Amino acid sequence: MAQAPFTNDIKTLRFLAGEMTQGDLGDRVGVTRQTIAAIEQGKYSPSLEVAFRIAHVFGKPLEEVFQWTAKAG
Amino acid sequence: MSFREKIHWVAFLSLILGFGWYFMSYPWAVANTRGGMLTSVWMLIPTTIIFLVPMVAGTVWFAIRTPKEANLKEDEREKTIHLKGTHAAYYPLVLGIWANIFALINGLSYGWSVNILMATLVSAELIRVGAQLYLYRRGY
Repeated sequence: MAQAPFTNDIKTLRFLAGEMTQGDLGDRVGVTRQTIAAIEQGKYSPSLEVAFRIAHVFGKPLEEVFQWTAKAG
Repeated sequence: MSFREKIHWVAFLSLILGFGWYFMSYPWAVANTRGGMLTSVWMLIPTTIIFLVPMVAGTVWFAIRTPKEANLKEDEREKTIHLKGTHAAYYPLVLGIWANIFALINGLSYGWSVNILMATLVSAELIRVGAQLYLYRRGY
């Protein structure tokens, strides 16, 4: 399976946001806990809407949550 | 494992159980007769029971254990998994239809036709649910 061409800091941001669980984040974004886990591991590329919703939960701009990796081109 | 994944496992195993019994018990020697077709129709009753009982029981069991998850709507990842599974099932469906056309052109009777259609449906369902289970396990 191809890894998503970007990394993310969701795990760290969750920890910094009072050790928020994947389930809590999923509830606030409107996706399942399993989907948050898949996004964190780079197995699933979320839609732009979900990416923005995640960034909004942490009060960060999108590029602070998701980073395009150089090797992906 | 999410509620939907568990339900998919129940569906997958119920399909194997119900239609496994059907195809193992069917009297293939009479398949090319009218009696063969009627036997198929009759055997669909116990097959449906064998298939549906674990499906309903499993769904109710998991819904009681995780009511919150059971009430959740499909999210975007699950919808995509759903679509990919359905797409994969299209191919056995087409192959089965062609096999049935071939059987009818070559004079095989309704008994064979019903069984080929049934096998087509079961194969397509197994591939649909199996592909979805694979995608759930893989993450996407």
